[in-house]
Amino acid sequence: MKFLKNLLVPFVFVLGLSLGTTNANAKCSAHLGDFDWDSANVHTAIASYVIEKGFGCDVQVSKGSTTPIMAAFFDGQIEVITELWEDNLVELLKPHFADGSILHRGVNTPASEQAFWVDRATAEAHGLKSVEDMKKPGIWELFKDPEDPSKGRMTSCISGWTCYTINYVKLKEYGLDEMYTNFDPGSGGALDAAIAGGFAKGKPVFSYYWTPTSLMGKPEIDMVRLEEPAYDAKCWQDMSVVVEDIKANGTEVYAPSCACEYKDMALTKTVRADWAAANPEVDAFIAAYSLPTETVNNLLAYYVDVSGGDMEATAMWYLENNTEWLDWVPSNVAANIRATL
Amino acid sequence: MKKYSKYLNFLYLIIFVVLIVVSYLSSKRKPDSVKELFTDLSWLNNFPKWLDVPFMVWINDGWRWFSAKYGLIFDAIGYALLRSYSIIKNLLVDLPWPLVILLVVAITYYSSGKKLGTTMFVGFCLFCIGFLNPRFWDKAIETTTIVLIGILLCVIVGIPIGIAMARNAKVRNAILPILDLMQVIPSFCYLIPGIILFGLGAIPAIIGIFIYSCPPLIRLTDLGIRLVDKEVIEAAESFGANKKQKLWGVQLPLALPNIMQGINQCTMMALAMVVIASMIGTRGLGDEVLLGLQQLNVGSSIEAGLAIVLLAIVLDRITQAYGEKIQERTQPPKKIKKINVKN
Repeated sequence: MKFLKNLLVPFVFVLGLSLGTTNANAKCSAHLGDFDWDSANVHTAIASYVIEKGFGCDVQVSKGSTTPIMAAFFDGQIEVITELWEDNLVELLKPHFADGSILHRGVNTPASEQAFWVDRATAEAHGLKSVEDMKKPGIWELFKDPEDPSKGRMTSCISGWTCYTINYVKLKEYGLDEMYTNFDPGSGGALDAAIAGGFAKGKPVFSYYWTPTSLMGKPEIDMVRLEEPAYDAKCWQDMSVVVEDIKANGTEVYAPSCACEYKDMALTKTVRADWAAANPEVDAFIAAYSLPTETVNNLLAYYVDVSGGDMEATAMWYLENNTEWLDWVPSNVAANIRATL
Repeated sequence: MKKYSKYLNFLYLIIFVVLIVVSYLSSKRKPDSVKELFTDLSWLNNFPKWLDVPFMVWINDGWRWFSAKYGLIFDAIGYALLRSYSIIKNLLVDLPWPLVILLVVAITYYSSGKKLGTTMFVGFCLFCIGFLNPRFWDKAIETTTIVLIGILLCVIVGIPIGIAMARNAKVRNAILPILDLMQVIPSFCYLIPGIILFGLGAIPAIIGIFIYSCPPLIRLTDLGIRLVDKEVIEAAESFGANKKQKLWGVQLPLALPNIMQGINQCTMMALAMVVIASMIGTRGLGDEVLLGLQQLNVGSSIEAGLAIVLLAIVLDRITQAYGEKIQERTQPPKKIKKINVKN
């Protein structure tokens, strides 16, 4: 009996302690998913600042690359995502939207682009306007891959990200795969550094990239977007099937399908349905949140160049210098935020 | 020197004060006037935002100037490294794989002093790398090539520095903090600038290996030479050996087991770095691990991780066995057993 009693006492104590802590913070909580590129960081920074300081919730932020963060989101560990590159993840998201476990919450930035880019100097010197032009004789030699001199190097997306496989399929469909390597830069920072390094040395750059990004906002980076066949929903759908198949089973299962340009898409937000039901006020804020592209570019420049990558300082700078956020939140929440600036 | 040390401390103090003033003046978050600092003491509570050395700005400006001015030199270095990388890699990839295994087995056999057990173990491990996944074979060769070139660079630069440190205490005091810095600074701090100087791929990885894995070699070379018996040196001196003869004839041969240990450590650390370098587009076994990680494929990343372990075992056993062989040669087995005298 004494043994049981000894066992019970600490157990009850721990239980009380844990209840006590959950009670204290039971008002609300949000677990945000953040990704390893800078526009996602900025949106996450602002949203988490508002939720924490304005609504007074417990906020947790997890940062990682697409696959693990999305897996945690589908699993229910992460509740809010403030920047979703939805069109890259069509097949992955479909079942979850269908069964109602996650909900659309509108756009965070109206316009974004992802495409293949060439630096302006090279593009103008050789008349490169579309992906077809990249096949002209001698062009690949401008971008010669130092480690595989028989081909040019197209610095691609990061392997493991869906866009890497999409680019793989695109290069094949466009007939560029025999002339260019689909080069994996390994990480987002390395991709940026490769482009910046090309410009710093005045070397030709041929790369996959996207906007809005702080790099694209820099004055010295000037790239031309290569034209591709116009976006077509049916074509994209067919390609997505092949892409998901390759991601699951390796490049051997590649089958010729179709390819077209990335849709200039709105970046969207999404939340988990159970979390939204439990936190209607915060959910309404997430749904209302939206920034003009112009503001995002300014924010990115501030985030990278001025704040030195300080997410909180960027959020505070935004909240101090803009007013549109007042419409997203109730007035008492806005007052709470004002008090912390 | 002692005489001036008092003034030297004074100089440091002045530099420190200047830094504080500069950081205050350049800060955007300073109060409206200096007087506020005395009336409003709230800055003593939290570390004040204006107390921020603009180190970041200095580094960025310096870096821009540096990469513009000396970019060409780094292009040349990069080209030389890339050539040697491509030559070795293409040679090994083109060779039939059984031949490569035989070659490594032969190297192991002779470097280990004809130890059959070690040799067979190494051959088996090497076979298993391809056995885990045939795709790994070429990738392991890419990784090994990068590691080998990195180590070669370390040996060429590291051993002379180690010797210089062992000979002169001032040199040692100057270099030790640099070694600490090289070992501890997070690798992305130099890998990302490496991309800007050398482009994506193998070359920044080789530079990364050099920075990360050279320090143990330098330290062990230094230690090995300093540990050589004073009496042996005195004996050499009494035979009239000059400095050069002493170094090549006595100190280096006797320090060789330690130096080999340094090369062994260097190899292991190089292998660790090559995996991290996959995040800057270096091909090899590391990118298999990274891919598995990014696709949440536990099986494939562990498989690739095991291949790296096997590669590490192969490289470790070869260098280790060679070191042991040297040790046996330089320090003949003691035949006289010590007799414990009990008091």
